[in-house]
Amino acid sequence: MNRLAIGAVALALAGTGAARADSVLVLNSEEASYSILSRSQRVELQRLPIGREPHHLVATPDGKEVLVASTATNELLVLDAKTGEKRRVQRNIIDPYQVGFSPDGKWFVTAAYRLDHVDIYHADGFKLAGRIFIDGLPSHMAFDVESKTVFVSLQQTGRLVAFDLATQTIKWNVEVGKAPAGVLVLPDNKRLLVALTGEDGLVVVEPKNGDVIGNLRTGKAAHNFFPKGDGRHWFLSNRVEGTVSLVDTQDLKVVGTIKVPGGPDCMDITPDGKELWVTQRFLRRIAVVDLEQMRMVASIPVGKSPHGVFMLKSAAAAPGTGPVRAASTAGDQK
Amino acid sequence: MRDLIDIWVGIQNWIFETVVSPLLFRFGLMEWFEPAFNAVEIVMLGIVQIAIIALGMRFFEKRWPLEKTDNDDLVAVDRVYTVLNKLGIVQLVVFMVAYPITNEIEHLARSVGYAPPRLERILPLLHDSALASFLVYFVLYDFAAYWLHRAQHKFSWWWALHSLHHSQRQVTVWSDDRNHIVDNLLVTLALVIFAQFVGVQPDDYILILMIGRLIESWSHANVDMSYGRVGERLIVGPRFHRLHHALASADERHIQDHNFAPVFPIWDMLFGTANYDGKRRPTGVDDPIVDADNGRGWLVQQVTVFGRFLRALAPRFRRASIQPGLRPPAE
Repeated sequence: MNRLAIGAVALALAGTGAARADSVLVLNSEEASYSILSRSQRVELQRLPIGREPHHLVATPDGKEVLVASTATNELLVLDAKTGEKRRVQRNIIDPYQVGFSPDGKWFVTAAYRLDHVDIYHADGFKLAGRIFIDGLPSHMAFDVESKTVFVSLQQTGRLVAFDLATQTIKWNVEVGKAPAGVLVLPDNKRLLVALTGEDGLVVVEPKNGDVIGNLRTGKAAHNFFPKGDGRHWFLSNRVEGTVSLVDTQDLKVVGTIKVPGGPDCMDITPDGKELWVTQRFLRRIAVVDLEQMRMVASIPVGKSPHGVFMLKSAAAAPGTGPVRAASTAGDQK
Repeated sequence: MRDLIDIWVGIQNWIFETVVSPLLFRFGLMEWFEPAFNAVEIVMLGIVQIAIIALGMRFFEKRWPLEKTDNDDLVAVDRVYTVLNKLGIVQLVVFMVAYPITNEIEHLARSVGYAPPRLERILPLLHDSALASFLVYFVLYDFAAYWLHRAQHKFSWWWALHSLHHSQRQVTVWSDDRNHIVDNLLVTLALVIFAQFVGVQPDDYILILMIGRLIESWSHANVDMSYGRVGERLIVGPRFHRLHHALASADERHIQDHNFAPVFPIWDMLFGTANYDGKRRPTGVDDPIVDADNGRGWLVQQVTVFGRFLRALAPRFRRASIQPGLRPPAE
């Protein structure tokens, strides 16, 4: 499609709210903006200003809204989950780098990456229940199925920490490897997978005490998980390797590898399950991966350092359904 | 435009993936993954700036020189400063010292709930125009830089450092980066903290530095050029800034206390320090101690000027013979 045609499509689609039915939202973290793209046309429709250093986002438990964490302005920008339009601002959420709701929807947790603390809020009204200061760049998080514990990785100190949600205290704090990032609680609630950005794969961790009980090589700088949706397979981005691995979590093996250059990071999957969209942080693009062919079929220009990605009108995880779609990052807790 | 971005980012990504990223991975420094990628861009921008200076600005100096630069040795050291600065070597040292400090200040401010004000809230129009938003932050940044520059001339200890910049007798497009590394550190610290508190976006900050420093390099050019009666009141040009480097004389002891603005002369006009008389004057500092910087190499300048700085800070280190060099020319 030539550029004129792309422009015409973008103009036409941008003018209609209905066009957003198949849209994708991408956070341009170093540009203080977010892009709205057409999923079907694979073109950026609009780029709108938002906060400062927006990195991650999460859908509300009812699936009606998306919270964009604006780290440098200490606030959450609330967007309509269907249209991507701004609704309101939730202020006084300090340094919300990574954000997530517990599966039961009662707790809202933020990891303050720059300020080294983990905040646990009552999700209803965002009332702070407890703030736990902890050194080491708290980055990614995952909740256990019962909504009792949140696991947070500390990227600088190589540790994984389990926090009790009800008491806002630390259950355990263990070393798991170099630069741990994405955390995933498997549906059986008996294993945690932790991606190691300072190494070339993931480790398997015992949720009760943090013991490392296994590992799997996926690629250099394993970083972030996203569920395929079948409860068994998860995608894992490898930032230095420039690949996305498809991991069979039951047999703990890599069953597919997709080349995605440019520091692949956050991901989201189309509602029909046919495409995986992956932000290419360094290339200022978002990759479209065809999951039948298991290869990248498009790369769409967006803003600088695209990080979080979200499919508008994505189905939200029903409360209590566990981590089939509620996994390690804000982008995949839907 | 997008093609240019793709080429630029493609080169940046290639350098990062080929050289930087494997090193970070090898030495367990992956928490610096994102900042290191941005550092590659800063070096690339530095190369572009050097090319613009060497190929573009130098053309005007060669074609229409204001003063005959008969001693290239005096200018050579300024080229060293420019390369060390533009290629990020000085910035890396400054960053390593400044980062923990600015980080702590930011932590403290944000821990107590401070969030940058963001002008978009006050001026919603800025939301709709990235250019307008960038310009407003650029003007604010320049305002801070203006007052910092005045402070460099006001305080004797700071003048001891900043006088290195003024000691050049043959001011050229290479002279802008001729600064002591401690001076660089102080200015960076102040401007980064200012940017943090005002809420300048990281991406805007890099662009402001890039454009600002190019304008400042040009304003040191050895040419007698201005942008016309209106233009020279909008943007700092060579004629305007050269007066700030003018050698003091018996009649004009305070001549360097004019035209401080880095980019926008409005600050000098507002605060009574503008001088548009257009007279041609020699450049340098009327102080033998400071003037002795000329003819020295980069390292010797750094060491001797640091000594000047220490003596200005601690009177017990002072010797009678170097007293004049410790005082700003305004005194």
